[in-house]
Amino acid sequence: MTTEETPPAVRMEGITKRFGDVVANDTVDFSLEKGSIHALLGENGSGKTTLMSVLYGLYEKNAGTIYVGGEPRTFESPRDAMDAGVGMIHQHFQLVETMTVLQNIILGHEPSDNGFVDTSTARKDIEEICSRYDFHVDKFLDTKIQDLDLGARQRVEIVKSLYRGADILILDEPTAVLTPQEIEDLLDLMEELADAGHSLIFITHKLGEALGAADEITVLRDGEAIGTVDAGETSEEELARMMVGREVQFDRPPRDPPKGDTVLDAEQLHVRGSRGLEQVSGVDLTVREGEILGVAGVQGNGQTEMVEALTGLRDIDSGSVRLNGETITDTNRRQRIDAGIAYIPEDRTTEGLVQDYTLVRNALLGNQTVEPFVDNRMIDWAAVHDHAGEIIQEYDVQPPTKSADAKSLSGGNQQKFIVGREIEHDPDVMIASHPTRGVDIGSIEFIHDRLLELRDAGMAILVVSSKLDEIQKLSDRIVVMYEGEFMDTVDPVETTEEELGMLMAGHDAGSGDNVPSGGVQL
Amino acid sequence: MLRASVIERLAIATASTALALLIGVSIVAAAGYDPVQFITSMIQGAIGGQSAIARTLRFSTLFILTGVAVAVAFRAGVFNIGVQGQFVVGGFATIMSIIWTAPLLPEGIIGGVGLLLIGFVAGACAGGAYGALPGALKAYADANVIITTIMLNFIATGVVGWLVQNPFRGEGNAAPNTERIPEYVSLPSIVFDSSGFSIIGLGIALATVAIIFVVMERSRFGYDMVTSGHQESAATYSGVGAKRTVVMTMALSGMVAGIAGAVFAIMIQGYYTDPSGIGTYGFDAIAVSLLAANNPIGIIPAGLLFGGLESAGSHIGIYTDVPVQLIDGVIGLVILFVAVPELFRMAAVRTGLGGER
Repeated sequence: MTTEETPPAVRMEGITKRFGDVVANDTVDFSLEKGSIHALLGENGSGKTTLMSVLYGLYEKNAGTIYVGGEPRTFESPRDAMDAGVGMIHQHFQLVETMTVLQNIILGHEPSDNGFVDTSTARKDIEEICSRYDFHVDKFLDTKIQDLDLGARQRVEIVKSLYRGADILILDEPTAVLTPQEIEDLLDLMEELADAGHSLIFITHKLGEALGAADEITVLRDGEAIGTVDAGETSEEELARMMVGREVQFDRPPRDPPKGDTVLDAEQLHVRGSRGLEQVSGVDLTVREGEILGVAGVQGNGQTEMVEALTGLRDIDSGSVRLNGETITDTNRRQRIDAGIAYIPEDRTTEGLVQDYTLVRNALLGNQTVEPFVDNRMIDWAAVHDHAGEIIQEYDVQPPTKSADAKSLSGGNQQKFIVGREIEHDPDVMIASHPTRGVDIGSIEFIHDRLLELRDAGMAILVVSSKLDEIQKLSDRIVVMYEGEFMDTVDPVETTEEELGMLMAGHDAGSGDNVPSGGVQL
Repeated sequence: MLRASVIERLAIATASTALALLIGVSIVAAAGYDPVQFITSMIQGAIGGQSAIARTLRFSTLFILTGVAVAVAFRAGVFNIGVQGQFVVGGFATIMSIIWTAPLLPEGIIGGVGLLLIGFVAGACAGGAYGALPGALKAYADANVIITTIMLNFIATGVVGWLVQNPFRGEGNAAPNTERIPEYVSLPSIVFDSSGFSIIGLGIALATVAIIFVVMERSRFGYDMVTSGHQESAATYSGVGAKRTVVMTMALSGMVAGIAGAVFAIMIQGYYTDPSGIGTYGFDAIAVSLLAANNPIGIIPAGLLFGGLESAGSHIGIYTDVPVQLIDGVIGLVILFVAVPELFRMAAVRTGLGGER
């Protein structure tokens, strides 16, 4: 606890940060004790990185006060922050690949000797830092970054910050790109740094890591700080519940889903992620006509890879995918669109819409093989034009301007346009990945209603979301994904938040005790 | 793409050209030459009389074709710097295919038209294949297109240079040239009585512009290609195969470059020679395309401007005592003023460092 003599290393009070009309941080309080590790836990888009970027001088806050070492401070730029001893290690490393480790570390802070770079002093200083901790970086000071693995690159980033005199270190999702062994090494290293008096902020969305490495954990959700807990006095279930929470109460009339024909099914699906590690480990799933299957789970447990494998955007390692009984495992994305798989993508800004295309041109995206928009490989722009108008009207896209660029629309309206386009595609199965992430309440209701209508009309729908209320409201069956596997199928009416929380943390709810089943990391 | 309207764009180009000429002329005057004479012979060289106009249009024809070749690739986000190489390979293939098939066809008009068709098809195919090669290297081996296309330029120039020097040198030729293609295989000038320019050649260039415009704006392939250039992840989401698109884009770009090579070979030369001495149309085309913001229709005025400058330059070089280096410098200034701002804006947008989107 804070005492009078030692003020917290960093204290942020009532921080608010808005981007246009989106509130990324809403009066957030956060405090980092000296010599401790504080995890900032939350889903993608919950405002963790924004909060830290405000601290680091990358963004200007709209309201609130920041204290560093007890003094009110506002950094104008990262350079300012560095001078005050705050270092940030970004998720994407800021290293020059073709330069050596030594050159990268001293870049921008080169010790000079009559105008020449004094490499021998730099080398000595770096070796000093390395010998204090277990960095193993000094052995390859003259190796080029491109020849190092990602774990080593990360250590270079840390040494770089320390070399610049950082006392407070912010690590943004440092484990995202690491192998389990590298993660373990990193967490050990973080502990060592904290023991030596450094204060660390650890941004993550992984419960186990936060629990294993941090002293304190602050959970962010939709830009708000939900609470700060002591790592020793909390559990994965509590954290999972805090992360996903429940924003709105809803009425969910009990429903007997019709036992329709199977539309989409997958068997023993194994899929690798972008780094070559297996992210989906033997998933079986079935989606029937007229039902919504909800996939719940904390983000990063293989949902993205599973969806990409089903939609044809990612190769499948082994297993099979069938649509209406026909095997489509080896078909590509376009063939799957033609076969009747519509997809509301996880990321509307990079995938769902071309940002500097008009809505008319965006209405053709994914419809390039659909008549009457394209006939005999030639586009009928008049038909596309009318189609864009229909989507805008039917799905209440504001402003209703066909010639507006996609990027000029708010998130909710962009999403409504995508949802409209994919539904009007008249598919056999709809796969919706986080269909309402970062969308205003009005649009959430609208999109939910549309999906439920679609279900009532007999469509097979797969919804992936990390929002529990959304999953419970929409789904006829819920499966929980954890570390690439489905934990259990539960009934959305009978299940409880506690049960879902346990499953999302990898605990088998049925067994009654809290024995980790999937081998919780750390 | 930049948002300036066509009128604004033309106004900007005109103002930039005028400003660049003003500075250029000041330099000419400072170097002790008559600036008034310089300007008049420049205008004279570009549009003064039939032969000057014919010469301007001859250069313009080639700049338009090579410019469109560059624009196709740039619009798709593929930086094809290899138009020069594709131009050379296409032109060489045109000449050789005509020489080889000429004995098989009757002489005269029928044979002439047949051989022209064979020549153009061969040029387009060879250029397309030579473009598809770096496309495939990008798609299947992740080789940087800028680097491979630059290297393939050298390879094209070197290999064709050796071929015309040795195995394919025309009998009794002192110069490193192939045989001439038969007299009856030519593009007649029709409008201007000028060797080296045919209105048919210009017609081919304009038709190519029209076809490429339709492909980019109205065809599915064009939409897929341009979408890849704008936002690759969205293109992939919509079912566009990134690998196939890169190869197809490069093949199309190379085909247009090959057609440019065919026009050059048939309309201007009638034989093939060491490509290190035939001009750098494929490189100048990058500036032409940038000036037109990679828009195929915009390539037409941009190509005319470059054609006029080139023509004026060659005229001044002959009829005034201003050294050729100074003339090239003035032309370079115009390019710098007109095209480079576009380049920077494009680079700024692409790297997210600002600029209008």
